[in-house]
Amino acid sequence: MSITNLLNNWSFYRNKRPYRGQYDLNKEYSEYKWAMALDLDICTGCNACTTACYAENNLPVVGKKRFHHGQVMHWIRIERYWDEKMVDFPEQGASFLPMMCQQCEAAPCETVCPVGATSHTNDGLNSQNYHRCIGSRYCSANCPYKVRYFNFWNYPSTAWPAPLPDQLNPDVTVRTKGIMEKCTFCVQRLNEAKSRARTEYRLVRDGEVVPACVQACPTSAITFGNIVDPNSKVAKMWKNQQVDLYKDLQEKDNTVRGYRILEDLRPFPSVMYMERIRDTEA
Amino acid sequence: MSESGINRRDFLKVLGLGGSSLALTGCGNTDIRSGDELIMPNVSPEDFVVPGLSVFYASTCTQCGSACGVMGRVREGRVLKMEGNPQSKISGGKICGLGQAAVQVQYNPDRLTQPMMKVGNGLQPVSWDKAMATLNEKVGPKSGIKGENFAFMTGAMSGHLKVLVQNYLDSLDSKNHFAYEALSPSIGFAANKQVYGVDMPRLHFDKAKLIVSFGSDFLGTGASPVHFAAEYAKFRKAPRGTLVQIEPKMTMTGANADRWIAIIPGTEGIFALGVANQLLKHSEFTNTVPAGIASLVSKYDPETVSQITGVRPELVGHVASLLWEKTPSIVISGASAEGHAHGVQNAVAIQLLNKILGNVGKTIDGQAKSPFPQIAPEAGSFSSLKAMNDAMGGGKLQAVFIHGANPVFTAPSFMGFRDNLRKVPFKVAFVNAADETAQECDLVLPILTAVEEFGSNIAWYQPEGVEITMQQPLMNKLYPDTRSMGDIMLDLVKQRRADEYKNWPDFFSYLKAAVINMKPAVKYTDTDEHFWYDTLSSGVIHIDAPQEQIGDSFAEAALSLPEVQNVQDPKFPFYLVPSERHYFRDGRHANCGWLQESPDPLTTIVWDSWVEIHPKTAASMGIKEGDYLEIASQNGTLKVKAYLFPGIHPDAVSIPLGQGHESLGRFANGVGVNPFTILNPVFEKDTGELAMFGTRVSVKKTSDSEIVVKDEGPVSTQMGRKLVVTLPADVAQLSKEI
Amino acid sequence: MINTFEERDVAVEKRFIHKEKDIREDIAWAQINKDVLKSLERPRMLFWVIFIASLALFMVGVSCEIYQYQTGMGVANLDNPHVWGLYIGTFIFWIGMSHSGTLLSAILHIMHADWRKPIYRFAEAMTTFSLMTAGLFVMVHLGRVWQFYYVVAYPNERWTWPNFQSPLVWDATAIFTYLTSSMIFLYIGMIPDLAICRDNATGFRKSFYTFLSLGWMGTDRQWANFRVTYLTVACFLIPLAVSVHSIVATDFAVSQQPGWHITSFPPYFVAGALYSGCAAIITLFIVLRYVFRFEEYMTMPILEKTAKLTFAIAMVWTYLNLVEYSSTWYGDDMYAKQALIYRATGDFAPYWWMMNFLGSVVPFTLAFKRIRNNIPAMLVISILLNVGMWLERWMIVSPTFANGIYPWTWDHDQWPSLVQWGIVAGSFGWFNMLFMLFCKIFPSVSMYEVKEMVYHRSLVRKGTEDATQINPELAVEGGIAS
Repeated sequence: MSITNLLNNWSFYRNKRPYRGQYDLNKEYSEYKWAMALDLDICTGCNACTTACYAENNLPVVGKKRFHHGQVMHWIRIERYWDEKMVDFPEQGASFLPMMCQQCEAAPCETVCPVGATSHTNDGLNSQNYHRCIGSRYCSANCPYKVRYFNFWNYPSTAWPAPLPDQLNPDVTVRTKGIMEKCTFCVQRLNEAKSRARTEYRLVRDGEVVPACVQACPTSAITFGNIVDPNSKVAKMWKNQQVDLYKDLQEKDNTVRGYRILEDLRPFPSVMYMERIRDTEA
Repeated sequence: MSESGINRRDFLKVLGLGGSSLALTGCGNTDIRSGDELIMPNVSPEDFVVPGLSVFYASTCTQCGSACGVMGRVREGRVLKMEGNPQSKISGGKICGLGQAAVQVQYNPDRLTQPMMKVGNGLQPVSWDKAMATLNEKVGPKSGIKGENFAFMTGAMSGHLKVLVQNYLDSLDSKNHFAYEALSPSIGFAANKQVYGVDMPRLHFDKAKLIVSFGSDFLGTGASPVHFAAEYAKFRKAPRGTLVQIEPKMTMTGANADRWIAIIPGTEGIFALGVANQLLKHSEFTNTVPAGIASLVSKYDPETVSQITGVRPELVGHVASLLWEKTPSIVISGASAEGHAHGVQNAVAIQLLNKILGNVGKTIDGQAKSPFPQIAPEAGSFSSLKAMNDAMGGGKLQAVFIHGANPVFTAPSFMGFRDNLRKVPFKVAFVNAADETAQECDLVLPILTAVEEFGSNIAWYQPEGVEITMQQPLMNKLYPDTRSMGDIMLDLVKQRRADEYKNWPDFFSYLKAAVINMKPAVKYTDTDEHFWYDTLSSGVIHIDAPQEQIGDSFAEAALSLPEVQNVQDPKFPFYLVPSERHYFRDGRHANCGWLQESPDPLTTIVWDSWVEIHPKTAASMGIKEGDYLEIASQNGTLKVKAYLFPGIHPDAVSIPLGQGHESLGRFANGVGVNPFTILNPVFEKDTGELAMFGTRVSVKKTSDSEIVVKDEGPVSTQMGRKLVVTLPADVAQLSKEI
Repeated sequence: MINTFEERDVAVEKRFIHKEKDIREDIAWAQINKDVLKSLERPRMLFWVIFIASLALFMVGVSCEIYQYQTGMGVANLDNPHVWGLYIGTFIFWIGMSHSGTLLSAILHIMHADWRKPIYRFAEAMTTFSLMTAGLFVMVHLGRVWQFYYVVAYPNERWTWPNFQSPLVWDATAIFTYLTSSMIFLYIGMIPDLAICRDNATGFRKSFYTFLSLGWMGTDRQWANFRVTYLTVACFLIPLAVSVHSIVATDFAVSQQPGWHITSFPPYFVAGALYSGCAAIITLFIVLRYVFRFEEYMTMPILEKTAKLTFAIAMVWTYLNLVEYSSTWYGDDMYAKQALIYRATGDFAPYWWMMNFLGSVVPFTLAFKRIRNNIPAMLVISILLNVGMWLERWMIVSPTFANGIYPWTWDHDQWPSLVQWGIVAGSFGWFNMLFMLFCKIFPSVSMYEVKEMVYHRSLVRKGTEDATQINPELAVEGGIAS
């Protein structure tokens, strides 16, 4: 965003943020804007996504002591909540919530990074540039979901005793101490698919590429895709659930399940959750 | 230069790309200095290896008994990640975390990399020649080992390796194949046999409107979690089915239930009969249900049931009315209902509901019958451990082989398994890592992991037809001094029957020949070679076999539930629920960092064991989270940290299985406790299986306390935030959704 | 009020006869030079005790930092999401401390409060050194300190710039500007004194001071230029000081975190900064007075005036603090209210209440003249006030992380490790060490300004002809302003 741009469009920037094409006035998301839909009713809380993420993204195993100190690196975590009104027993089961980076459109982390290490990509991802990161951790401080994970230790030297490094995914770097990391929507897969599609003069087809968590999920609770493509499943689901990416207050029917978490803080997340259902008569 | 076709610019490019050696190669394959070294390009890939491109190979996951078809992502000759194989009807292209961890088994830093032999009290490395010579000496034709002297313990087994094991035992005239699974489904099998006439019927969750599960954790553990999770997802789509879970300790499945009911362990059968009693009040059932059944259940009115089971009386009628309203339904029993002295009867009483409701044929029918009984799965049982233990204790056994099981770790301490094993003069373990059992053995042979090995597997739960999932190596073996279990077995068989097996130099050729033999059953028309490669590349062989018939009459349902249950024991007032963690099972893969660090879904605890206790009970005993409790049964005491858990019956405490290893590797050793050790000798009456849930314990608070390491923060609710929103099922309009 | 010379004389008479004097007006100028220059020669033993102790403490901090640099930030026992801890808290503390010097030399200079003259030099030194300490914390806090220069907007071949939206970039810019300006201010104000040092020194010191005094001869032209320059820099510094701490406050105020997202933060931070700065001046006043035998110059009335100033600022701070609490309490931000309740009742409650007690209740002791004139009591109170202010900064940073918007990630174990404490302690060592070195090398009392002060006072005292030549209002101001 140049200053000329800012001054010329001052009232626009002041009043409307985010808006379509906010990061480049000349270009909307004309090709890709990756988004997710997550059905909490069929998420069973099994943690397959978490393990898949460890395998795909070279997440270090930190061990008990560091886990205890909150230095765990799970990019996607399954939260388990009990009902606030629970008497004696959780008679309606538990509430599971898979929480990963929400790839917000107006990401609170992006504006505060002093060096611009985290910024928006042209396909709507909230990217994290490891080389640029100096580890001020302001992004994590400002993230309402607390899904950013800081490398408090030099994991490459400790987390993978030989021959475990042989398992590491060569498409993903191993992060050293002192930098922030987070869910990338498996950007290495997306980029591979995009460049493959480009060589064939087409766009990535719906379902052609999914992040590791989506691929693993035994109940297929997570849907992933390109929301710019109106025929993609995820775009249809967002539309069907009456969730608009660029609205902070959704006007929707109460029978519709779609919602985004902490929408009132106006980060405009790219992950839509679908409400858990419980048979109240059971 | 330009005349030779390389101009300066190109030359520089080559230099930049491939480095100097590559450039020099262009000048002819001459040596650098003395002529000893030929200059090779920097990157010299193997066949089928394209640097930078991943290749997916189909194989089978052997982390549990479900035999999911998987794909291994291979790059530069290394397997990096497991994905589901979409061609597999079992996995449907999906995979669980335990399956993901197969690569951590493969690259485990604590893998056994060479044969070990017991010298004194410790294991010393030896060469394979020495190891095989020892095997030949101790169990070969000249050793005199024969028949009753020899036993082969395996885990659950299927496929062609099982055939080889069987053939080896045959060559020794031995019938001692002990297939041991610590968490075997055999009590359920026995009940199913009694009710339906088959070991395992096929369950159609997607067709059911209501699932009433008595302690069956089909989403987490059970027969085929990945498959059932997919079925569950279909069940939850419009029209949304309702799940009712009745169990003493909330499992992952229970956590997803619309109604979760805490029940005193062992009284599930009574509850089922109480529900049956309520159901039979509907006049529609008077014609379909025999009077004998009606009179059998008539004494279980809600009040009586409530007294015995500890469940509120109105819930009995409630479950009955749900079953009445939502048809077809499906009623299933699981480990916590079956692991009792009257486990089979409990399960039969539960399955009786299916018969009353007429679910058989609608949501429950028979599995396809495999045309190859010799490779059919052997699910394993506890009674085989008991039989082997008795044989060892009697001093009959001269040599035992152990593969795929870790009985020293999983056998309850009352059996004295370790001492009995020591009485056997020659013990051989075939392992990936020197586990507790291997430490006791005289010869420990390192075998290939599942991702390095050929093989064939058949799951005992087949969702559609018969699926033989093929295993193929996803990479070359990591350690040169490890060997294929199949090769070893073939060598052993050849000790006595060299002529019969001379056509097969190794297990690969044996397997290939055997699989090609199956070609007619699959109705494959192309050549044998094509069949073999098609099989390997798709990873599965589908056989459309006819279904087994399952009984839908009441004749089989003879019930003899004990009248008096729920007896108070003042010395051991609590029921012990040894819970099966979905990524740990019996603990054989506890040495994977990913699994240790994957939080338990309900408690979110990592890297530890804990005892779940109801907050009310804890409050009455002054127990806080993190207090060390002494959990004592007649057979031992464990000191475990307390975790206050609302999803457990106040009279029960639960300790997860799978931790407490002494010798498995750096990630597992010394982590947590092993509740197998304190189990009481309570056996299921009909099958002789160990009643896992039959142990009573006392709970004593100690003065020690330590922080419980968990992902959960200090609060366990949403604190008024709109994080997980719950919508009543009657408001939601799933049918309009995409 | 004062219309005639007679009335003025009566007022002056009353004041100087019945009240203790800020400074004796009969000190000879040569005596001032001698007394102050003595501080460069042989201080009391306590100087060396403090210096060695500070050096040792600094070495502790350095070794902690080396360990942390080598091993990773994990040794600080920070965690996700509790990613900031004592480092940021102490950073704000030191930034706040730096406001004392600007207050005394720039603000009071412009307000012609001449009692500041004997003590402003060391206050300015405090400004510079506490800014240097604060800057260290920015480095210590970074995960990859070796890349810290990415924050600075420097031209580079890749055309990559820092993110100007980020308050941390504003911070870096503001702190660098403030640091350079305050160093220039300190140095300019010292030039006449350095010339005195030069004139009295021998050997290598002579050449050292000669170099630094920039050929100061005390000519009229030099004095005239000096005055203008000094005043200009002072005027430049005041808005800078206010902006620096406001910007530090925006680090918090522009974020979404509950307990930070408060519009009153900038004035609140500035008030807190002046508060801790004044309290620190009292502490160092007492120490220097003893160590360098400055009893003649750092007199009890000056201490008392500083104490009164501290009290006033403490009340401003308390008011702004209450504004923060009440606006949170009556606002409808659920998260902020929950965070406030957590501060008062949760894991940090003892420190939070201690902060409120030390910051708002303890200063009331300064309302008593007997306490204001009791040196040991003032030493203890001033240190307590600064403990309170340090706690305030910690209470801004940590409880919000431990109890933020997202309940799942509320903290497991947030107690700072010994490494964090070590580096915090080391920062005090570093500051004290620099400060003590400064006082040993440079005149920590401004000789020429004290001379001015004595001269003015003596004129007023004597009521001579000379006194009528100066502005009568100005002459009595020193008395009235206090």
